Amino acid sequence: MSDDLKNILNNSNKDIDNQKLMDYLSRQLSKQDTHDLEKMMADDDFINDAVEGLEQFNNVKKLPLSVEQLNRDLQKQISKKKARREKRKLKEQPWAYFAIILLLILTIACYIIIKRRMDTPKPPAPPVTSQPIRLKE
Amino acid sequence: MSPAKYNHIDDNELLQRFYTDHDNEWLGILLQRYTMLLLGVCMKYLKNEEEAKDSVQQVFLKAINEMHKYKVDYFKSWIYMVAKNHCLMKLRDKGKYTTEINEQLMATPDEITDKNNYIEKDKALTSMAEALLQLNKEQQVCITLFYLEKKSYQEITAQTNFSLLQVKSYIQNGKRNLKLLMDKRKVDS
Repeated sequence: MSDDLKNILNNSNKDIDNQKLMDYLSRQLSKQDTHDLEKMMADDDFINDAVEGLEQFNNVKKLPLSVEQLNRDLQKQISKKKARREKRKLKEQPWAYFAIILLLILTIACYIIIKRRMDTPKPPAPPVTSQPIRLKE
Repeated sequence: MSPAKYNHIDDNELLQRFYTDHDNEWLGILLQRYTMLLLGVCMKYLKNEEEAKDSVQQVFLKAINEMHKYKVDYFKSWIYMVAKNHCLMKLRDKGKYTTEINEQLMATPDEITDKNNYIEKDKALTSMAEALLQLNKEQQVCITLFYLEKKSYQEITAQTNFSLLQVKSYIQNGKRNLKLLMDKRKVDS
């Protein structure tokens, strides 16, 4: 009894999982669990407001789908932001640009050197004769 | 990152990880824990399923932006306040909600938590039993049935013929009055 009395002003700060909420909304919780959840509602305005709002949905069974969709959108949003951040990070790192420019310069230099070598005229080759070479006696 | 993988990590730990590397993925895991509750809160105030869903997305965006600017200590209370304020602002823009945002909404969650936790429970048991008797009949009945006899809201409505809304209201107001009575006794003694 004293414990129960003590619980009146004891703000429970437990977390609540979605499945339990769904079971409560579809009246599938046991008596004890129903009471526990309602006690959480009485202690916590967030949970109370949430349950009152969720009860207003036309089709409670579709709620998990809506939640899933919202979570997917959130993930997309976060990935987009992350990609943007990575891009910005690259901008903020001058060494990356330096490396790219250096690579370009090296490539161009290689190209020029190879091209020059190819364009330089080769010395004429000695004439090829069909007569046998006579060795001096 | 799959949120289920991080079920063993509590909100505070996730917050710490976010503030350490500023990776929004941690924030995503944290926010997903509250999607259903946020959807319920938005629905309660806006009374429209599509608007409620849109508002949850806006609350997410707001949270992602704000969390980089400020240090949040109690995520649950904070995100609730963000959602509630967002809905009230929306209603005010529509002209459905004309009253000023009260002091409680403007207060930071830390202050509210402190206010809620300031009563020391153990010392006050006897005093509470007496204070319970000072509540009005309806609040006394609902508080007793709910907390002491562990009845559900449905059972209390069936037993007392009060509506569900009345039962909730008697329990919440009764609880608040009990706190006030306990404070008064504390001051008097």
